[in-house]
Amino acid sequence: MAMFWEFFTFEMKFRFKSISTYIYFLLWAVFNFLDVASENFGPIGNNNGKILLNGPYANILNDIGVTFFGLIVIAAIFGTSILRDFQRDTIQILFTKPISKFAYLGGRWAGSFVATVFAFSGLLVGEFFGTLAPWADHSRIGPNHLSWYLQPFFSIVVFQIFFMGSLFFLVSALSRKIFIVYLQGAAIFMLYIIGVNAFGATRSLEHFWSAIFDPIGLRYIDAITRYWTVVEKNSLLLSWSPHVAEGVFLLNRLFWGLIGVLALLAVWKFFPMSVEALTARSSGKRAARAREQDIVEARPRSLVAARLPIVHQIFGPGTRFAQLASLTRIRVANILHEVPFWVLLLLMMGIAINNGYFAGKLADRNVWPVTYLMLQSVEGGAQLFFYIVATLYAAELIWRERDTQFSGIHDALPISETTDWFSKLFALCFVELILLTVTMFCGILMQTLSGYYHYEIFQYVKELYFITFPQILTFALFALFIQTVVSNKFIGHGIVIGVFVITPILFNFGWENTLYLPGQTPPYIYSDMNGYGHFAAALFWSIAYWLAIMAVLAVISIALARRGSDDAWKSRLGLAKQRWLRLMPAVSVLVLIVISSGCWYYYNTHVLNEYLTAKDRRHIQANYERDFKKFENVPQPKVVAVDANINIYPERRSFDGNGRFVLQNKTPQPINQIHVTNQFQSVTNVKFDRPFHAVSSSPRNLYTIYQLDTPLGPGEKLDMKFDVGYASHGFKDGNERPEFAYSGTFFDSSYFPTIGYDNNIEIDDPRRRKEEKLPDQEILPHRGDAVGSVTNLFTPTSDWVTYHTTVSTSDSDSEGQPQIAISPGYLTREWHENGRHYFTYDMGDVKTLDFFAFLSARYDVTKEIYQGKENPISIEVYHIPQHTFDVDDMVAASKAGLTYYEKNFSPFQFKQYRIMEFPRYRTFAQSFPNTVPFSEGIGFIGRLEKPKDIDFTYFVTAHELGHQWWAHQLVGGRVEGSNMLSETLAEYSALMVMREKYGNDSMHRFLKHELDGYLRGRAGEIRKERPVVLVQNEPYVWYQKGGHVLFTLADYIGEDKVNLALRNFLLQNRYANANDAQSGAYPDTRQFVEALRAQTPPELQYYITDAFESIVLYDNKAVSATVTQTPDKKYKVTLNVQSHKVSADGNGKETPMTLNDLMDIGVFVGKKNEEKPLYLKKEKITQANQTFEIVVDQMPTRAGIDPYNKLIDRIPDDNMIDVTKQ
Amino acid sequence: MALTITGLSKTYPNGVRALKDLSLTIGNHMFGLLGPNGAGKSTLMRTVATLQDPDSGSVQLDGLNVLTQKDEVRRVLGYLPQEFGVYPKMSALDMLHHLAILKGITNKTERTQMVEALLQQTNLWDARKKALSTYSGGMKQRFGIAQALLANPKLIIVDEPTAGLDPAERNRFLNLLSSIGSNVTVILSTHIVDDVRELCPRMAIISNGQLLLEGAPTEALNSLRGKIWSKVVATDDELRALETTFKVVSTHLVGGLHEVRVHADSSPGDGFRAVESELEDVYFLNLANQAKN
Repeated sequence: MAMFWEFFTFEMKFRFKSISTYIYFLLWAVFNFLDVASENFGPIGNNNGKILLNGPYANILNDIGVTFFGLIVIAAIFGTSILRDFQRDTIQILFTKPISKFAYLGGRWAGSFVATVFAFSGLLVGEFFGTLAPWADHSRIGPNHLSWYLQPFFSIVVFQIFFMGSLFFLVSALSRKIFIVYLQGAAIFMLYIIGVNAFGATRSLEHFWSAIFDPIGLRYIDAITRYWTVVEKNSLLLSWSPHVAEGVFLLNRLFWGLIGVLALLAVWKFFPMSVEALTARSSGKRAARAREQDIVEARPRSLVAARLPIVHQIFGPGTRFAQLASLTRIRVANILHEVPFWVLLLLMMGIAINNGYFAGKLADRNVWPVTYLMLQSVEGGAQLFFYIVATLYAAELIWRERDTQFSGIHDALPISETTDWFSKLFALCFVELILLTVTMFCGILMQTLSGYYHYEIFQYVKELYFITFPQILTFALFALFIQTVVSNKFIGHGIVIGVFVITPILFNFGWENTLYLPGQTPPYIYSDMNGYGHFAAALFWSIAYWLAIMAVLAVISIALARRGSDDAWKSRLGLAKQRWLRLMPAVSVLVLIVISSGCWYYYNTHVLNEYLTAKDRRHIQANYERDFKKFENVPQPKVVAVDANINIYPERRSFDGNGRFVLQNKTPQPINQIHVTNQFQSVTNVKFDRPFHAVSSSPRNLYTIYQLDTPLGPGEKLDMKFDVGYASHGFKDGNERPEFAYSGTFFDSSYFPTIGYDNNIEIDDPRRRKEEKLPDQEILPHRGDAVGSVTNLFTPTSDWVTYHTTVSTSDSDSEGQPQIAISPGYLTREWHENGRHYFTYDMGDVKTLDFFAFLSARYDVTKEIYQGKENPISIEVYHIPQHTFDVDDMVAASKAGLTYYEKNFSPFQFKQYRIMEFPRYRTFAQSFPNTVPFSEGIGFIGRLEKPKDIDFTYFVTAHELGHQWWAHQLVGGRVEGSNMLSETLAEYSALMVMREKYGNDSMHRFLKHELDGYLRGRAGEIRKERPVVLVQNEPYVWYQKGGHVLFTLADYIGEDKVNLALRNFLLQNRYANANDAQSGAYPDTRQFVEALRAQTPPELQYYITDAFESIVLYDNKAVSATVTQTPDKKYKVTLNVQSHKVSADGNGKETPMTLNDLMDIGVFVGKKNEEKPLYLKKEKITQANQTFEIVVDQMPTRAGIDPYNKLIDRIPDDNMIDVTKQ
Repeated sequence: MALTITGLSKTYPNGVRALKDLSLTIGNHMFGLLGPNGAGKSTLMRTVATLQDPDSGSVQLDGLNVLTQKDEVRRVLGYLPQEFGVYPKMSALDMLHHLAILKGITNKTERTQMVEALLQQTNLWDARKKALSTYSGGMKQRFGIAQALLANPKLIIVDEPTAGLDPAERNRFLNLLSSIGSNVTVILSTHIVDDVRELCPRMAIISNGQLLLEGAPTEALNSLRGKIWSKVVATDDELRALETTFKVVSTHLVGGLHEVRVHADSSPGDGFRAVESELEDVYFLNLANQAKN
């Protein structure tokens, strides 16, 4: 024991004398300090405005992150503790002394353990000091609970150090190579990322085993906390109890604790107390080879020296080239001869191939792995390696001659520093090009394997060699420079990685300017419609600018290159002076490029365009709200007719035109002021058909007030004319308007004048509002509110309008192709004039929402006529030629939807339904009257591999079609809950269309995803969750929950009953205010609930209260199920089930409810997830624990309560259980 | 070729004065540089080999200023540093070809001939395709010699070249050096006195950055002829007694007894016998004299 103590204290002394221990400590302290003190730093800060920054959930998340990124620190401390003896050869002294294995290994291990725990305890200190930072957001910092600090620290961090450290210790002790230890660290890191990605991409909702075998925690944290509400996140710790979350955390810790113990046992058992490592056999081979050499050596040889031949030395440009080639070759060979490069390459390929496999598997659907998606996957995975290799090998190349002590020979060779430096650069470029090319082949390989053969090699080349490569080059030049300047390779690594890491952080802090963020390029998005499109120019100039800056540093690196044995700065500067003269011309040219590209970039981004940071933009929004919110309820006339002439110039990403609104005073009072919001500064020259003058305007012309000389009487109409347009100039520093593209223009009515105050401009993120010192955002008023009730939810400035427009586009766009221009309405006239193509669209008599859009692109058109109930309906899909994958599907979904909706709700009000593709700069589909722009990012490349796959395109198409009823026929007032009248009902409609296609059984899987989406959504709620019919701005409520509960209601009371309720509700309330001269009330969810209740039997009325008017959660569970054979050859199942029901408030605080609920009780045959019902009946559940006896004809396999997850349940998987024989 | 070193001084940042106003002229021959560890030999050689600049002084190689016309000097230079490493996993053949290209031997036939001749000469032919990193110390040293002799250098600087060579290889190396021919300046730094005696027409002894002696080994030997006396004593006490009375040049252990060499103009007394003077005596006496001053 004394000896153990000796080794232990020695290790401790060593560690605590070493500066690195304190650096690690400081690193974690700073990390957690910023997590608390800066909202823009950690995962929590950025996440949810109500989760405490020093609360338990924040600590858990930070601790897991730290143990993940801290793997390398654990490896560095544990891995080196034994290796030290081998590296310094103290082993020969040590092992010849009488020491026990236990003392030696145990002492070293324990010392490392304590030192590592100390290093990581920086977290606690940093966090504590973070809570004291005066500038931190103290509304998100709670009192410091010791247990919130220590419990996660011990159960996550210390535990992790124990088993990970032991694993590293094992590997290092047995292999005795630091390289293998780091390799192990890197491999765990990479494999873990691969594993988590792969698992995520399977879209499995499995949460048990994946959580237990997770060594880091990202899976178990998801399994345990994915549905935690704000209240829970601010009070619960990860429990070691076997009853919480199925004991996942306990089992995980037991499993990995066992691994740790086994590692220690293995090290104790297998560690040889001798100079020879376990791997001694291979060194034996090496010795044999050396012996062989000696034998050769011993052959007798003449002692007389032969004359050496005469050679000629030539020095000229040719030789310089030969020198460069030879040096580059040797340097490349040096890299390729080493194992680490191949390991990195293999890991990179592993990640690229793995990611590539999932390229076509997006979050909720399968698509064809088109090249931009494949590139996104393979390059996204490989990117980190490009930078790791640049960082590592820049250092290796700069230091190689010194590290290998070859510099004595090398530096005295007749080569110029420039030649030498370029050989280093070229070697690095060569290696990077290998990586890039391998990445490309991985992409092509994975496209081939997934059956996509439309190879776009040119796109790969453009992306990898012309966009990514110059950026890596920029980074590599910087790394080469840093390594030249610093006195130690590792300091260099620190600086290079530091700059790499700090750039995005600075960006988050509002330092967004490409011109001063090292190596930054503005973001770009590739689109199949548009290629690199308008992003190319900014990309080119930013790359040129940074490349030139780094090239200047490169020249300085050449001047400062170490040569000879004197490293003192004095002599290096002396040498630099000697070299400078030759380098001056290059520097001048490069500086010229920096200045000219920088100026050009500045001119484009700051002069031609206004430069605004994200914060500036929010400030403009906030000022708008501060200045004009007071006018929100000033009575304004409504738009009743829209007529516009719009000319789109796609090649210039611009449009111009003019418009005419007919305004009508639908209030009982005269109106003498007209307020106009001009959000995008696109409106000019506003004129009214009677005398008027502008009263006031505002900066940016955001808000102008016009005084009418004679007031507009009640019911009276007024013509308003204006010019409208937007012109793109040059390029911007990011933030390009997505509405304008060379092909795929899509802008909507927000470019037109908005009458009155527009509350869509308000900032809605509570954190950002706080930053701007704005009060909490006003929520939608209560149902029945005097103003809200008479205001249209979607278009507050209007009730319903008639619509007419003429829109034109180029006959010859930037690629010389003709484009098609589209706007809602029926095409009534079409002609060519002056190289432009004109289209007149008219909505006829059908009134629509004041909500319209203009599109222009190079389209192919697929048309089909569907015989509707009252008219033939033209279904049209506008898409680019290569995106034909989904077109038939969209047409089919449209037909199915039309059939179902016309049958169950009301006739379709239009004679056409058009879907048009737009570039994936924005990813949504939006329903305008008979016109649905659909992003290429969420449709058009969909793919169904198995018949069971969920057809997302089909679903979205049906959903958007649903809006032609639920929004374009029936719209609610601007009060709470009204959003569900369009979104929930469109979601429900689409679910029903899906059910028609897939049948009831497949809907279970689909609904489980809806349920998961709802539960995750409420866990991330930043304001308060609301019940469905009181929903404010909670998409997870109006989509997932709304769809789910209405679908369940259809199951409980019958689909026909629900549809009848909807039909009644629709027919009574559609087109509210369409023809009135004075705005009356719009429908709201009270009428909706009434309509549902009218069709619901008394015993199920409670469900409407629970599901629509409250937040209710169930915790149902099948406890046991046994079967016995009855005398008459039947099977009697005894099923014991548990049930709990709670109601939750908006923060997730729960109160138990008494049970008196109908739930499915079912007995099934078939294996898990493929069950077929033998028995399914709704039973009244009144007890927390109930037992059922059910007799079935067949031998059952599964049984349970609410087996189809029709009710909202946070653990849906335990509702069924295997039936066991008694 | 002649190398003129004038007034060379160098002080390192840590205060060590490696060279103190050192001047030396070296002609077209082999020149031996003797000195104890830390004498400044390596500093001097690195300065001549263009690897570092002195604080003051100048170095001229014929018409070339070594301190400013480094590239020109490097073209005619063959340099073997005292300690050097190699790129791992690179064969001697590859490496010599590479270095030959860097030294401007662009003609492939010539290059191949030279590389092969050197590999033969340094007895590395059989191991030419093996990775340098697997070479033993002696083999590595021979590789160093081979690379220094590429491109028929006019100025050869070899720092401790025979360290680590077995006697046979050492002889072979010395033969090789001496066969390189005329019109070449060779500076050979060593602390093995015999290397110099066997090889160098002229030599210098430096210590503490100063020149102690410069001349032909034979002259130096002549100046000591008849002044070196030897005596064998058995115990340490006797040895100590001799040290206090006489100017002891060196002692050697011979069969457990101390053989003491003493410098004196005439026989120092009983038990001493006259012995042939050796270069080593010159070396030790010069160092001892400097220590006294």
